[in-house]
Amino acid sequence: MIQKKICMLGGFAVGKTSLVKRLISGMFSEKYLTTVGVKIDQKSLSVCGQDLLLVLWDLYGDDDFQKVRASYLQGASGYILVIDGTRKETVEVAGKLHELARKTIGPVPFVLLLNKHDLVNEWVVESPMVSDLSDQACLVSMVSAKTGEGVEAAFSALSEAMLKS
Amino acid sequence: MERTPRSSPIRPSTGYDRGESEDFSALRRLLLSPEQIQLNRLRQRMDTLVIGPQEVSRVLPDAIRLRAQQDNRLLASLLPITQEALALSIKQSPQLISDSIAPILGSAIRKAISRAMREMFQSLNQTLEYSMSWQGLQWRWEAWKTGRPFVEVVVLHTLRFRVEQVFLIHKKTGLLLNHVMAEGISSQGEAAISGMLTAIQDFVRDSFQQGQDEGLESLRIGDLTVWIEQGSSAILASVIRGTPPVKLRDFLQSTLESLHVQYSDSLKDFQGDAAVFLETRPHLEDCLQAQFVKKRKGLPVVLWVCSGLLLALLGWWAYQATLSHQQWTELLKRIAAEPGIVVTTIQEEGGRTVFHGLRDPLAVDPEQLLEEVGYPPHAAGFHFEPFIALTPEMVRKRAITVLQPPGSVEVSIEGSRIILTGESSHGWIARVTRSASAIPGVSEISLERLIDTDVKQFEALQVELEGQAIFFFPGQGRMPDRELVKIQQVKFILQELDEKAIQLGRKPSIEVMGYSSPVGTQPINVSLSERRANNVLEMLNEITFQVLKLSAAGKGVDPDVPSGSGGEQGYSASRRVSFKVVESGFPLRREVGARSEP
Ligand SMILES: Nc1nc2c(ncn2[C@@H]2O[C@H](COP(=O)(O)OP(=O)(O)O)[C@@H](O)[C@H]2O)c(=O)[nH]1
Ligand SMILES: [Mg+2]
Repeated sequence: MIQKKICMLGGFAVGKTSLVKRLISGMFSEKYLTTVGVKIDQKSLSVCGQDLLLVLWDLYGDDDFQKVRASYLQGASGYILVIDGTRKETVEVAGKLHELARKTIGPVPFVLLLNKHDLVNEWVVESPMVSDLSDQACLVSMVSAKTGEGVEAAFSALSEAMLKS
Repeated sequence: MERTPRSSPIRPSTGYDRGESEDFSALRRLLLSPEQIQLNRLRQRMDTLVIGPQEVSRVLPDAIRLRAQQDNRLLASLLPITQEALALSIKQSPQLISDSIAPILGSAIRKAISRAMREMFQSLNQTLEYSMSWQGLQWRWEAWKTGRPFVEVVVLHTLRFRVEQVFLIHKKTGLLLNHVMAEGISSQGEAAISGMLTAIQDFVRDSFQQGQDEGLESLRIGDLTVWIEQGSSAILASVIRGTPPVKLRDFLQSTLESLHVQYSDSLKDFQGDAAVFLETRPHLEDCLQAQFVKKRKGLPVVLWVCSGLLLALLGWWAYQATLSHQQWTELLKRIAAEPGIVVTTIQEEGGRTVFHGLRDPLAVDPEQLLEEVGYPPHAAGFHFEPFIALTPEMVRKRAITVLQPPGSVEVSIEGSRIILTGESSHGWIARVTRSASAIPGVSEISLERLIDTDVKQFEALQVELEGQAIFFFPGQGRMPDRELVKIQQVKFILQELDEKAIQLGRKPSIEVMGYSSPVGTQPINVSLSERRANNVLEMLNEITFQVLKLSAAGKGVDPDVPSGSGGEQGYSASRRVSFKVVESGFPLRREVGARSEP
């Protein structure tokens, strides 16, 4: 079985943790995690006939990009860049985090997720706003951690991209 | 030069010649003919070339190596043939194969089996060791309560330390390279744990600004300790229950180091495929060490208790044995010494010891002896015929039974003679003299040292009476009134004397003796003394006595009163009446076998 480390990247409260939760059922107690600041989960899935074990690293707490340490990104084979579709400012944060990731781990595959797609009425982020990121992402997708829309597909897409790279 | 082959005379039959001039051909022939010849010869040789084994053998090893480096095709084409060949070979000469495989597989299998056996025995031993003990019972209760298998509870309690899991972690990615667990441990999410361990490492390193090769060495989570060995590319994390010894650390460290040496390339190139690290399993399993608490003496508590009980029982039995032996000898001694009991035979009858023999009815009850000695009453019986024992003790005993002496009388035996010492009533003494002859073994009874209290009292009364004197006025025959008190006294004494005399069977006479002073003439004095005696007697005779016989006598002048002792006053003592007891009977004390006192 092949394992891949994936990092969840995105501004505060964009829904990183919720997305991971959507994918797996967590095993670490929350209390313990606040200390270390990282929550790690594993998810096994099969992509193109290949068994894959995703090890998902999710920063815990009121994080922003300044708190993202190099060691957190170290050794990741891909990452998930999350933007809150209802908050414009999260786009900028995502851009900075993307730069940080590029600098630290190089051009690894990533998917760009515009989360909270269930809140259509409050949606403010339009495609042009994220075009810079979209060009480099192996997938851009509107998702919702709440409804589950597009979540599995996003992880699968990233997995596939990582296996190919 | 690339074009050269195309226009070269290697292919002379092509259309080149037709389109070109003869001169050019001639020139070419002129310039290149030696090479042309050479080329033609080469071509001829190539066409007819057959590669001989000689040539192949020269290039084969290198060719295989080169091809294998390029791709898998050689392997693919060789595989079916090799497999077939191997199968055929095994079929044709299995011995050859097994001989060559045995040394390798054998030791591996042996190792695996011995490991399994060791583990099995370990847990079996402990289970057995504890299943009987008090501790074991508690743990059984715990196992029942918690629903865990008993073995597991035992292991948990007897563990000094046990490495339960070992994680080999890729340092850079935090991905799990391999993972082993001790028997009975179940784990989920090793990959996440592995990541977590790495994250914690990073966290600590970042927080305390430590270098890459430094980091957390140990973590405590509840009763688990995680020891983390740092390598340049990998981390070895061991989850340990209990308190591991320091030397385990060295072992873990050296294991990690040797893994680094062995897998340095794989660690460097790790892309998430941990398959190559499956081979690290035996090394990691070697780290799954455990040490159990040695029981202090190896004996289960129950055994201790049992042996203690046994010892106590043995001791008790021995104690009882010596005790009963002591009791037995004591009993024999007592019975042998006991007067009036003669044991003729001792027999075991129906589980008890029965004494046969003779027993004087006056001898102690043998049951009482049992009790005194502390010998179990049910263990002994007695079958005695009655007899009369003539031992001094028994004679004495019998005498006491027969005579029933008062407490004031001591009975002793001298040969066949009973000696009575002390005081007793006259009545008892009389009875003794009558019944003494009825006691077997008694020929004589000595009363010498026996005082008859009745006689003693009689004598005392006698003395008292004889000490009485009733005085008269000079020349008077009639007692003065003031002496009446004395008469009363005398009456009283006489009554007592009468009673004692009855008791003693005596018939004493009392002489009432009248006296006069020497003043006057003899005849007057005699008659005066007579009158005086009669006067007192008269007064005394107011009472009737049973046995006493009173008589009066005029004694005249008392010769004992010294003459000339001074006038009328001086003679006053002589004008009187006195009393005297006259024994009419024989002396009682000398009735039976009596001798005078020394
Ligand atoms: N409506 C809606 N709310 C979401 C969605 N995803 C996350 N949230 C909410 O957004 C908040 C922040 O989510 P969280 O996962 O903690 O964000 P993180 O800080 O990026 O880990 C929480 O209150 C979530 O319930 C979504 O898809 N739709
Ligand atoms: Mg979060």
